[in-house]
Amino acid sequence: MVLVFLTFNILAFGATTSTQVPMLEAPVMVVSAGQSPGALQFSVVAKMAKLPHTFEKLLRAEDFDPTKYKTLVLVVGASSKGLGAAGIDFEAEVKRVVALAEKAKAHKIPIVICHLEGATRRGPMSDRILDALAAYASIFMVKTSSDEDGKFKSLSEEFKVPLLYFQKTSDLKNIIQEHFVY
Amino acid sequence: MKRLLLFFSIICAVTAFAAFFQPDVRPGYGVTDIGWLSDYFPPLRGTNLDTPVFYMDSGVEGPTFLLMGGTHPREIASMVAATIFVENVVVKKGRVIVIPYANKSAASIPDTFGKVPHFIPVKSRSGPRFLVYGDRRTDPKDQGMPDPEKFVHPSGFELEDGAEARNLNRQYPGVPEGNPTQQLAYAIIQLIKAEKVNFNLDMHESGTPEEYVDESGNIKKGGRLAFTLVCNPAALEIGAMALLMLEDQGITFNLEESNPEFRGLSHLEIYNATGCLSFLSETPNPGQDPWRKHVDVINDPKYPLKLRVGMQLELIRCLIEAYNMYTGEAIQIEGLPSFQDLMEKDVGSFLN
Repeated sequence: MVLVFLTFNILAFGATTSTQVPMLEAPVMVVSAGQSPGALQFSVVAKMAKLPHTFEKLLRAEDFDPTKYKTLVLVVGASSKGLGAAGIDFEAEVKRVVALAEKAKAHKIPIVICHLEGATRRGPMSDRILDALAAYASIFMVKTSSDEDGKFKSLSEEFKVPLLYFQKTSDLKNIIQEHFVY
Repeated sequence: MKRLLLFFSIICAVTAFAAFFQPDVRPGYGVTDIGWLSDYFPPLRGTNLDTPVFYMDSGVEGPTFLLMGGTHPREIASMVAATIFVENVVVKKGRVIVIPYANKSAASIPDTFGKVPHFIPVKSRSGPRFLVYGDRRTDPKDQGMPDPEKFVHPSGFELEDGAEARNLNRQYPGVPEGNPTQQLAYAIIQLIKAEKVNFNLDMHESGTPEEYVDESGNIKKGGRLAFTLVCNPAALEIGAMALLMLEDQGITFNLEESNPEFRGLSHLEIYNATGCLSFLSETPNPGQDPWRKHVDVINDPKYPLKLRVGMQLELIRCLIEAYNMYTGEAIQIEGLPSFQDLMEKDVGSFLN
């Protein structure tokens, strides 16, 4: 019976590392880290899950009000097109998201690092952002195809932070419903 | 002398045939009217760039969706998907307008890669039929002028390859007094404005993502464009919803946003010129991999045409559903074959 239950959980919500998964609270601030459309996709799924959240793809630390939000979600995915459209260069983008993570950490706000655009959105730029943010993560939420090289698994083990996998982007809805209190 | 005259007659006949290429589209019961793109821009009339427009009107009030194939006629899945739509779908609410061969001139000449025949036989519901595999750009004869050294979009955006002056998907929003390809783009914009089109999909194909070994023995990555839906920034949320639905059917596409600095592309310029929410899809065509020596664009073992057309059709369905969900308005269609239908029965089973 236990085996059936565990199998169901893995299929439905993805495998996790053994580190205890924290419960996360709403309202949630969702921010892009790299300006790919991934953060918007997270926001669309969050809407489907009816998660109270705000989506600000270019939020700066000075504009982040830590009294209003109980979780910060940083969706990693670097896009040259997106950076160009936002009028921000890559180095400034890395500084922006690290400053945001610093502020959230200083106010003890849990940080979700999410990657949901698969292997094609993994590359030197995305990985640079990921490496800069990994130390701030309270939890990783990662699409299985985003971790073909095991990078997220290694970071999860290195920083002793739980890692939740999901197969399809829409499966993220189950993870949100399971791990956020709202 | 008689032989010489006969020779010239044959040459003239062949040239005339090429200049008056007409796509083979056999409308189904859902088609309520057929017109020409020149109805929206008369200078196109009588040229090889004028192209048929199929109207599928439910008669019930609702939004209008424009579906385009054949912007680049070597991207064969786009034309086949649009043709299957015209030959099978009935619109029950709202209206769909289909241009299966957006650049008919480019369809009238063979692909300049030279690896795929211009006309490919398939077995359809009514017997033998030919699919067209054309070129990427307008026939130079129809353009009527040499390519410039560099392509310059009216916005000032430049590309090194002057032949891009004949690429429809670099010309939007078009120029009424411009060259024929600029006029073609302008005519499409006029149609969108006149028909108050709410959203559109411009279907494309690109090289496959397969890794390959180059002439120096280096492993190279394949194309990154395939399996992508590119959205105007204003349409991004609908695109994201459509791809979630598509993934539930087991098909994963990447979401991309228009690059505002790369001018002339349909997904950027159509919305900016008309307010019509604009999308562009890309499926993987082995015929566009420059490294392949032998190509079978119909029965490739990994990327057969049925797979690519099935993905385009499923994406159309998801896009319509996402648009309906997002706006609260509704287009309803019946008879669109599913991805599974295509995989099980193949393309010819859905062609009249």
